[in-house]
Amino acid sequence: MNFLSGWMPIALAAGITVPPLVLLYFLKLRRAPHTVSTTLLWKRAVEDLQVNAPFQRIRNNLLMWLQLLILLLAAVALGKPIFEGSRQTEDTLVLLIDHSASMGVEEKDGRTRLDIAKEQAEAIIDNLPSGGKAMVIGFSDRATVASAFETDRSVLKDRLDSIPQTDAATTLTEGIALAEAYMQNLVIAGDQAGTDITVESSATPARVVVLTDGNIEDAESLTIKRLPTDDMQIVSIGERDDNVAILSMEAKRNYEYPQMLEVFSLVRNFGPDTVKCDANLYINNKHVDVQTMELLPGYTQTPVNENSGEDKGESNNPPPASPVKNRIPPTGSTASVAFDPIEYEGGGVVEVRLTVHDAMTSDNAAWTIVQPPRHVTVLEIGEGNLFLDRVLPTLPIQVKKMTPDEYERADESELAEAGRLKFDLAIFDNHSTERLWPGSYIFFGGVPKVEGVSADRMVQGGVIFDWDESHPILRYVGIGKIMVHQWLNLQLPQQAEPLVEGEDAPIMALLSQDGMHFLISAFSLVAEDEITGQALLNSDWGFKPHFPVFLQNAIQFMTGSLSFKGVRNVRPGNPIEFAVPEGTDEISVRRPDGFVAKVQTASFTTVNYAGTRKVGVYTAKPAIEGREQYAVNLFNGVESSIAPSKVLRLAGTNVEAKASTEIVNKPFWPYLLLAILAVLLIEWAIYSKRVFV
Amino acid sequence: MVTPAISKTENLLDPEFIVRLERLEMVSKKIFRGSMRGERRSRRRGESAEFADHRNYVVGDDLRFLDWNVYARLERLFIKLFLEEVDLHVNIMVDVSKSMAWGKPEKGRYARQIAAALSYVGLANNDRVSLYSYANGLVGELAGLRGKRLLPKVLDHLQSVECDGISDFHTACKQFSLRHSQPGILIVLSDFFDKGGYEAGLRLLLGRKSDVYCIQVLSPDELEPQLSGELRLTDVEDDDVAEVSMSRALINRYKQNLAAYCRGLQDYCTRRGMTYAMTCSDVPFDQVVLNVLRRRGLFK
Repeated sequence: MNFLSGWMPIALAAGITVPPLVLLYFLKLRRAPHTVSTTLLWKRAVEDLQVNAPFQRIRNNLLMWLQLLILLLAAVALGKPIFEGSRQTEDTLVLLIDHSASMGVEEKDGRTRLDIAKEQAEAIIDNLPSGGKAMVIGFSDRATVASAFETDRSVLKDRLDSIPQTDAATTLTEGIALAEAYMQNLVIAGDQAGTDITVESSATPARVVVLTDGNIEDAESLTIKRLPTDDMQIVSIGERDDNVAILSMEAKRNYEYPQMLEVFSLVRNFGPDTVKCDANLYINNKHVDVQTMELLPGYTQTPVNENSGEDKGESNNPPPASPVKNRIPPTGSTASVAFDPIEYEGGGVVEVRLTVHDAMTSDNAAWTIVQPPRHVTVLEIGEGNLFLDRVLPTLPIQVKKMTPDEYERADESELAEAGRLKFDLAIFDNHSTERLWPGSYIFFGGVPKVEGVSADRMVQGGVIFDWDESHPILRYVGIGKIMVHQWLNLQLPQQAEPLVEGEDAPIMALLSQDGMHFLISAFSLVAEDEITGQALLNSDWGFKPHFPVFLQNAIQFMTGSLSFKGVRNVRPGNPIEFAVPEGTDEISVRRPDGFVAKVQTASFTTVNYAGTRKVGVYTAKPAIEGREQYAVNLFNGVESSIAPSKVLRLAGTNVEAKASTEIVNKPFWPYLLLAILAVLLIEWAIYSKRVFV
Repeated sequence: MVTPAISKTENLLDPEFIVRLERLEMVSKKIFRGSMRGERRSRRRGESAEFADHRNYVVGDDLRFLDWNVYARLERLFIKLFLEEVDLHVNIMVDVSKSMAWGKPEKGRYARQIAAALSYVGLANNDRVSLYSYANGLVGELAGLRGKRLLPKVLDHLQSVECDGISDFHTACKQFSLRHSQPGILIVLSDFFDKGGYEAGLRLLLGRKSDVYCIQVLSPDELEPQLSGELRLTDVEDDDVAEVSMSRALINRYKQNLAAYCRGLQDYCTRRGMTYAMTCSDVPFDQVVLNVLRRRGLFK
């Protein structure tokens, strides 16, 4: 038997409590009076005994011995006695607690996985040897240090409790990096402060305990530099695996009939059983439609075979251990739900909600924001472009034309309103300008004169190198089949998103900056001849049937008719960019849980709100009309695949997760308490019966 | 607390026992000269029927003791000498301090029963019996009784004495010695629990050349105390307090001390030619008188 607290508390407690008890017995005043013929001999006898045995008063006093026994038992219990002497040698512990979306799964006993993880972490903290220090890091899509290295267990537990449940994804890289950074600081700030001693040579080896359900997105790409990976302990939390999730959702208006709203959703079953469930459609919390579906099992429970760990991800029924299990869903486990088109001319929140009793609730609903149908107003600035002039009138938009000179001379009130562009979109053809307000712009053969954007020369006879077909703007657009004579050599800031790549520089790119959204095409369809000044054909794209498609995609995308990835539909943990009306100092953001956060605008045109840890609809007030609401959705197959992994592939090596923490030291104090109770009962019996006083 | 005197109805001696006592006679190891003629032969020449010796007549001798037959044969005057018969002084000192009223059966009554028995034996043998009761000095005295017709007086006296006061053996002995100069038998009945010690008192008694008998009377509660727990012991005489936690060890130690105390008294008596006897108040007192004291040589 060992003592986690050492002998000091026991000695202290015994030292404080035992002498007063003995003293009380010495000073006990309750004596029965009795008359004797003479006290002569009694006094002599007492003196004799006191000379021979100073503690004769307490001899044979059974009650006092029992009370002493109780005190000693209690004192020993204070020392936290434990069975099995393998006292942990590590006195430095790094606890990594997963608090991602999947940790919110409610297990069969009603506790969430995060609750279980916290409980196990507390047990680990309790098992620390006296003087041992621990650090607590919570990780989801990003990591936060809940507690730096700390020896006070109650503080550690308090900090542990403060780790919140989020709906974010799981990444471990940042958590490991934080732990390593703190380890480094610990050594430098320790005894060898200021010396250049490496961690490996001087630091006490820290034990790393990761409490997770195993669905870590970046587990394989993880690199661990300093922490000892050999005895890294993965504690697998949770058992349930039944889950049905909405993996994507889209609500869009029919292009030809804008009053018709079409809603699509992708639902997948991750559980081992066939599930029959309903998908309900709500618009502004009104039930509109329901679709019933039956989903086949997402995986079959197969015993984990460590030898076949390499090809787990390739099989059709991957074991839950594999982090790539969700890439190829088994046939029948997914369902695309297409609700009947609904005639709805208002704006608001469209919600798809599954009626299913599964383990995880945060992926059972998805939201998106729709705007009322309206005609998009487009300002076309150019000297006259045959192709644009032909195509634009065919689209359901209102077009106003201006020449570049007219644009540059126009009064600001003609172009802007409330500090923003008056039009939904401005299309510049062969014109670069710096007269820009927050809004959406498409540049053909020109650039916005904003910071970081320039075009220094023309590239002639270049090759279109690569393009992003999956982007909504280039969908159904065969860029590879067009020919372009010359284009501008674009220099763009880092945050620009290239859509079409040339040899040296992007040819077409998206850029969002200072509330302005640009689609910049380095070439126009027509170019002015440098000598004659006549308009010459620069590309044959205008003759291709997919040019109108491109234009339509671009206008829809830039005017927000389509879901603007990363802007209107946000993943948990990612920031929402709210557009700020002019002259607003502060906006309040109402979260799905009802909490209202105040955000200072600091006179910027947009503000970022990063507190999107839970899924749902976030509403800003005041806001630009039509941009006051944003939906945060999980849409994460890795998180929704909640079956806990038994084998994790961490930093290239397989680490087997344990079902629970390996508590070697079994506490002994409950037995001591029972013994105290028993002794108390015996004492009571003796006292009441006066067997021996 | 004053212990009431023993009621008149409670007889110290019952008639049957008195009959048995009549057969006893007190003897003294020493032959003492009495002040009056008695029934005991003494070494002193005096008047009695028993011839002892002759001596020459000197002027002034009583002519009645001239042996005329010798004068007729030898024509010389001789005086006949006879052994003189004297009476015996029997002195009984009874402790009537408050501690004697303690114990079950009560030590005081027990001691007075013995005193009454011894007095009767003395009276019946025409000895000169004196009774003294003492506490912090002599508190009662009935001196010079002779003849068994005076037994009721003795009993009345013993019954009327109250057990009270602190025991002061030394003072009592001092007073006794001053009043009583005649040698004889002295019987002391007491528990000898005297905080001032018994030695000084006994030494005074020895000075009177008496034949001293010390009879220590203890109660069963003193010999085998039945006590337990945390006790506040109060001395019945001087209210002295001793706080004790009763334990087997303490009781054993008390018994050892009591035994040593009694042994010390016995040794003191033996070394000085006194006779010591110890008795417990639950032993029938007639046994003590008929057996124990007889064995000690007080009676023949």
